[in-house]
Amino acid sequence: MQGLHLTSLLSILILMITAFIMPVIKQRQLVTKISLATMGVVLVMLALVAVDVARVEHYTATIGHYDAPFGITFDIGPIEAVVGVLFAFVSTMVVWYASFGIHKEIKENRVKLFYTLIHLLLASLLGIVFTSDLFNSFVFIEVSTLAACGLIAIKDKPENIKATMKYLILSSLGSGLVLMGIAYLYSMTGHLNMRAIHETLQVSVAGNERAILVSLTMFTIGLGIKAAMFPLHIWLPDAHASAPGPSSAILSGIVIKAPVVLLFKVLFMVYGHEILKDTVILNLILIFGATGMIMGSLFARVQTDLKRMVAYSSVAQMGYIFFGFGLGNAMGMTIAIYHILAHGLTKSCLFLSVSSFIEQTGQRDIDNMRGIGREMPITLAIFSLGGLSMVGIPMLPGFVSKWNLALAAIDYGQIFLLLIILASSLLNVSYYFPIIINGYFGNANLEGKIYKSKMKPVRELVPLILLSIMMVIVGFGSGPILDWIASAMPSL
Amino acid sequence: MTFLIVLPIFLPWLASIFATQSRIITEKRLKPYVAVVVITNFIVLFTVVSLFPKVRFHLLMVNRFIDIYLRPDSLGILFAVLASLLWIFTTFYAFEYMKHENRVRQFFVFFLFTLGVTIGIAFSGNMFTLYIFYELLTLATFPLVIHAGSEEALASGKKYIIYSFSGATLVLLGMLLVFSITNDLSFLPGGIVNFSHFGGTDHNEFIMLLVGYLSLFLGFGVKAALAPFHSWLPNAMVAPTPVSALLHAVAVVKSGIFSLMRTTYFLFGPVSVAMLGASNYLLPIIVLTIVMGSLMALHQDNLKKRLAYSTISQLGYIILGIALLNQDAFIGALLHLINHAVIKITLFFVAGAIYYQTGFKYVHQLDGIGKRMKVTMICFGLSVISLIGIPPTNGFVSKWYLALGALKAHNVLYAVALLLSAFLTAAYLLPIAVQAFFSKKETPELDAIGEGKSLDPSDTMLIPIFLLTAIVILLGILPNPIVSIVTRIAGEVF
Repeated sequence: MQGLHLTSLLSILILMITAFIMPVIKQRQLVTKISLATMGVVLVMLALVAVDVARVEHYTATIGHYDAPFGITFDIGPIEAVVGVLFAFVSTMVVWYASFGIHKEIKENRVKLFYTLIHLLLASLLGIVFTSDLFNSFVFIEVSTLAACGLIAIKDKPENIKATMKYLILSSLGSGLVLMGIAYLYSMTGHLNMRAIHETLQVSVAGNERAILVSLTMFTIGLGIKAAMFPLHIWLPDAHASAPGPSSAILSGIVIKAPVVLLFKVLFMVYGHEILKDTVILNLILIFGATGMIMGSLFARVQTDLKRMVAYSSVAQMGYIFFGFGLGNAMGMTIAIYHILAHGLTKSCLFLSVSSFIEQTGQRDIDNMRGIGREMPITLAIFSLGGLSMVGIPMLPGFVSKWNLALAAIDYGQIFLLLIILASSLLNVSYYFPIIINGYFGNANLEGKIYKSKMKPVRELVPLILLSIMMVIVGFGSGPILDWIASAMPSL
Repeated sequence: MTFLIVLPIFLPWLASIFATQSRIITEKRLKPYVAVVVITNFIVLFTVVSLFPKVRFHLLMVNRFIDIYLRPDSLGILFAVLASLLWIFTTFYAFEYMKHENRVRQFFVFFLFTLGVTIGIAFSGNMFTLYIFYELLTLATFPLVIHAGSEEALASGKKYIIYSFSGATLVLLGMLLVFSITNDLSFLPGGIVNFSHFGGTDHNEFIMLLVGYLSLFLGFGVKAALAPFHSWLPNAMVAPTPVSALLHAVAVVKSGIFSLMRTTYFLFGPVSVAMLGASNYLLPIIVLTIVMGSLMALHQDNLKKRLAYSTISQLGYIILGIALLNQDAFIGALLHLINHAVIKITLFFVAGAIYYQTGFKYVHQLDGIGKRMKVTMICFGLSVISLIGIPPTNGFVSKWYLALGALKAHNVLYAVALLLSAFLTAAYLLPIAVQAFFSKKETPELDAIGEGKSLDPSDTMLIPIFLLTAIVILLGILPNPIVSIVTRIAGEVF
């Protein structure tokens, strides 16, 4: 059904169109409603796409009736479908959450811009994931970077502007590298379509080894910057900590995931394992990932600002994903994609609950969060659930990732990598648990706190609760999800 | 109908969730409610295990790795019955004791929840399921440990969490290593690891299995208070006495012991462990635990801490029985698991009763207390004698088997360690009982309390102590039923 195949394209178009309708509407309420409705529609459409993919396994949607390699196509398999649904789901929940309180955090006249930017952002992220044309993905990357910058800078505070500049400069560097990488590939193969490049590249390796290595490095570094791969993460804590709450949730939950998906496609679908196994790239990614897992957590430990702590935790969690890619075996890659899902849901949960702590108490310091569990019991419960997932309590998604990643590491043949995974999860205990414990327990902590005094109305918490339920489902239902992702892994 | 096997786990969980609703379960109804739940659960447990013996029920099966199922075998049933029986006694004891503590509701919520978790540990059919309940046990008992809410309690709680999670991480490491070789983590009497997993001439797999076993052993050893991972236990004594009694004599530490048994006899099997030669690395630590626990207990003035160090030493006995890898030693370990649980919970109850009635926490304050708390201290004295292992008490029976096992292992050193420690047990506990009755010293502090009347606690507290002492004596005089059950369990794995 070609008609249904274009649903993926349609979802992006709807988002783009509504994005530019919203600025001309006067009432804020109406904009909110339009945004929510659009998000809902997109979510349903992508769910349909996923169902369709589950039935036929894989399909290609050609845009404008020009077939590949000349026209642009969307190649959608299980990985793209799963990630697409994740993006739409998280954005929907975040928009729902933002509809109650975003006007308190940013200026009234910026609210419409906020929704516009979110729509543009989601559209471009979906584009990055779906498209099988490299240049097309570059365009989407640029759109997403600018939209993300807008979402950080929208708060108008000096630190936001500073963080935005930092992000913009580093991100442009990354985009530049990606563009050059694309140029290299184009000059070597004469194609921009991923599959076409892959086929041409397989036969023209000889004599091009250096060019291949250079372009591979450019992609890895360029996309690594955008995905906060460890030593290139320096923009992330500032950006994610200073942005308004819902923006942080989106930025940490899904924005840094799109470049990862693209990197995955570039590495394993464009270059392919045959080429990769002769280079050091995978080893480098593995080392960066492993360092990130440890260092990200160590940095998170020493933070005094709650939001910065959660932001650094993202660096560590991205390390898990790169670690999985770096292993280079089917299991490692599968679990890396699964972790995109797991971390996307968990981190957006954490950021939204943190942002409601900050909104209700006006405090950002971890020390001032003592006794918060009495004032906001449900929100802290959701935060705790996210924390427990990060720590790796069985059957929450964080545990599933860790367990499978460890098995993949054994499969890879390096037992000491196990120790990194386990050490990283112990480090997670050391910074998530104190907040939970001091939030709920201790006489000194609870003194003078009134039960449920700062709680948000339950209906404002619904999106958060839905996110955490989804997180639990992804954990318990990890079996079929993993099988489905694994079915799409390129054969090694 | 086999799904009914989950009832003894989920019933307390549901009950604990209901207990948070102060509108349904009012302050007045809370205690009867808890009592009804624990007794019902005991009956339910008895019914389901007799209706469906050795049934296998999958809670969740994701794939080969993540397969959560329950399979209560005789060892599991023994542990579950022991725990839920002692839970009933503790419940009644706690009704009275918790009167002078705050947040009674919070206490009972987690108290009920922990019951479900403990039975879950007993019923776990494979290592993965056991690991899940083991992690849950840490989370469920943490609020109980820090119940007092003071700075000191929070600090101890922190220590407990750090030790427990480090231990669980070791367990995870061990599980991963073993799983990567065997592709299976289920429990089978006699173990699933066999010679074919040792990889023949390839030494790599042998070492992975050895490291896997050692890290499982040390990981579970944290909760079983194996030295040098024992120090959370004395610190955790800041918890209210019912918690110390139940968790730190039965549920938590014995879950650690139980998991060690599962690892050694049901995952690896005695033959494989012997071939790995793992005991050579572990036995020195275990002997150290036994002797060090006793020596440390000698100079504790705080009664509960003295009991805690005594627990460490006695748990060492049980672990020794596990690590010796012969049938007599394993029978001894199982018997001591039961006997120590019953004895130590009584001793803790008495310590709590003394504190509750007089406010005394220290041993030097207890001179002459036997004249004022006659029944309580007689129970204390009888339990002490049992713990030392003087015939014909139950402590003697279990230590007899342990000593037999030690001799069978052709090492007199272990038997000497057992004897030495029994002697030390007498040295640190007997004087308390003797001084309580025969002290000639003036006791102005004690005389000032209660105008010379009897200080024995009220019936809700005294009856559990009395009944438990009766069980202790009964187990000593008529050990045969228990010994035959335990021998049957031990027979399955050898």
